[in-house]
Amino acid sequence: MINDKNSQKIVDIIQNWSRKHSIWVLAYGTGCGAIEIPPTMTSRYDAERLGVRGAATPRQADVLLITGYLTTKTLKRVIRVYEQMQDPKYVIGFGSCTINGGMYYDSYNTIKVLDKYLPVDVYINGCMPRPEAVLAGFGKLQQLIAEGKANGATKYKENLEWYRGNQKKIIPNWVMPEYNW
Amino acid sequence: MNMQEIKENLITHVKANFPEAAEKEFDGNRLDFNVDKQCIPSILTYLKDRLGYIHLSHIACVDWLEEGEFEIIFIVWSPEEKMKVFIRTRIDREKPVMPNIDMIWRQANTYERELREMFGVEFIGLEAPDEFLLEDWGGPPPMRRDFDTEAYADDTFWHRPGREDALDVREEIIRRSREEIPDFAKKYSR
Amino acid sequence: MREKATTLYLGPQHPGITGNMMIRLKVEGDTIVGATTEVGYLHRAFEKLQEKRNWLQSFTLMCRFCVPETDPMEESYARAVEAIEGREVPERAKYIRVMVLELARLASFMLWYGGQNGSLGLYTMGQWSVGDRNYILDLFEELTGGRVYHMYIWPGGVRRDLPKGFEQRVLKTLNYLEKRLDDYDDLMFDNAIFKKRVQGVGIVNKEKAIEHGVVGPVLRGCGIKSDIRIDDPYEVYDKLDFEVPTSDGADIWARALVRRREARQSIRIIRQVIDMMPGGSVYNKIPNPQKWTLPKGDAYVRTESVRGEIGMYIASDGGLNPRRVHLRGAAYVHAITLLEDVLIGENIADVSAIMNSLGTCPPEIER
Repeated sequence: MINDKNSQKIVDIIQNWSRKHSIWVLAYGTGCGAIEIPPTMTSRYDAERLGVRGAATPRQADVLLITGYLTTKTLKRVIRVYEQMQDPKYVIGFGSCTINGGMYYDSYNTIKVLDKYLPVDVYINGCMPRPEAVLAGFGKLQQLIAEGKANGATKYKENLEWYRGNQKKIIPNWVMPEYNW
Repeated sequence: MNMQEIKENLITHVKANFPEAAEKEFDGNRLDFNVDKQCIPSILTYLKDRLGYIHLSHIACVDWLEEGEFEIIFIVWSPEEKMKVFIRTRIDREKPVMPNIDMIWRQANTYERELREMFGVEFIGLEAPDEFLLEDWGGPPPMRRDFDTEAYADDTFWHRPGREDALDVREEIIRRSREEIPDFAKKYSR
Repeated sequence: MREKATTLYLGPQHPGITGNMMIRLKVEGDTIVGATTEVGYLHRAFEKLQEKRNWLQSFTLMCRFCVPETDPMEESYARAVEAIEGREVPERAKYIRVMVLELARLASFMLWYGGQNGSLGLYTMGQWSVGDRNYILDLFEELTGGRVYHMYIWPGGVRRDLPKGFEQRVLKTLNYLEKRLDDYDDLMFDNAIFKKRVQGVGIVNKEKAIEHGVVGPVLRGCGIKSDIRIDDPYEVYDKLDFEVPTSDGADIWARALVRRREARQSIRIIRQVIDMMPGGSVYNKIPNPQKWTLPKGDAYVRTESVRGEIGMYIASDGGLNPRRVHLRGAAYVHAITLLEDVLIGENIADVSAIMNSLGTCPPEIER
């Protein structure tokens, strides 16, 4: 065990550096933004050179990409998926509708502000964000990880009650397991 | 046969079997029939089996709130005659009940599920799960005209307030480029 | 001994599914004995929102119905509004519309190439075709300013004229893509793995097609020659010379053959359109959108997209806003009743390939 403060610092730096270069994105196209993910991942933009690649299941994934608007029905599944993911985990809000509802500001079925329900580390704006913007978003996330500032998951654990309250407000039939970390 | 002959032929055939059907002609390959809701299954079966209108293209519902009625429109298409036929019917808005037609075309099942959920139209004998697009929905059927989606969204969801530090970017542009705003643009304030 | 049926949830989070939807499968061993689709994860209530938007604001919502191919929805809306109002469209705008529609078709075919092969674990094709699709999106970007959402075909014509030299750049891209399509054939249709996985899988025969109201390539894949562009021609398709490919196999292989030939027909159409393009203005000015009312009436228009027929019903009550807009995409009939029917008797591993082949696009169902 390392008890020395300086040694811990060095370990953190190495940990963050390695985390930064291996971002696995969960393959869950929650909204229409999913259409710009294949171009980002394939030959022209090739996100894999930055260590960004797809992961099939929540257990292996590091990043949850919320690609656009979230309906209340999807939100329930997204929360479940997010809680299944293992630390370290990050959330990227993708598209204008995750920020303020976008053009669905008066829709009865979509949420407007994503960070009331899930801790968002990076927002990428635009409708639709271009692959360059997606890459820039991942770059920003990498920078935050290297600096040790991408701590959305910690925030979620510490303020779980507040997040749960918000989530339960719009999901009337709550049939999900209660985790306690 | 040209389009006019096809239409006349169709009207004769339909009128012979359904005397109460009121036709309305349009330009191009479109013909409307207004019928009573009870004869919807029989007229659709007749069109499909006898006259070759084998493709059910659409089922739409319009809420005429002021008149207290729903209008249900069935659109069928004949690949032989290249003709679209609209079968329209009006039903009471308070107790909307319709006969089920998903034994004629299987895909009608999906349309009927949507109408049941979005307008509250009941189809007699429709076998399908209760929920289609919505989950745990407690409010009134949302596509009805009297459901106010904006008020519901304001009540249920948070809205992100506008930024207080937002600047009028035009002033910044003027400062940088030293250009004047034309007079006509000044009235479009932020 | 027969195994007991197990329930398996496929989706909404699943790498093989074609969007945000869920299928509840009943499986015995590896064989599917029952399937129920559950949709609604993408319901944004466009049709409700449009009741509050005016006729021009509604138009910006239109392209967001289904993202792989956004232009057919814009075109349907524009054409339906023009039909209600009786507005004329300049000849040049019609040709530009056809060009944009066919470019969008081509882009969607490229995405399908990647998806169909990716669903079987053949990822090279995705790297090629989705990469090459960017060349078409570059053209769209030059023309409209957006890669995915164009908002270009609006009531009364198109939003702006072609940039200088645009036709030459389109032709150059087409020459490149035509060569690439041959490469795709070598990779896909000569591939023993692809053949073995798809032949005899996902059968939609003629009887089933009529019963379920199947449209588009799925209908042509079972030997019925049906295409809205020929049967119910819109814009200038009646002046163009192109073929409607069909195939008799009724399985995924047959539908792949149909799409392979359709992609080449799209290239052929774009070349003809560029040859025949007349001059003149590109749009008839619409009135002030804040005061723009349409006469009372309704219209139903149909457009052929890559997945099949898109039908749009618009009713106007003579006011500033649409009374009712209802869109029905091809996936609306393919992804629910037909998919539930086709999946029975297939293997779990083939579900993804079948969904790709039927053109399942969840946002189109839920809107």
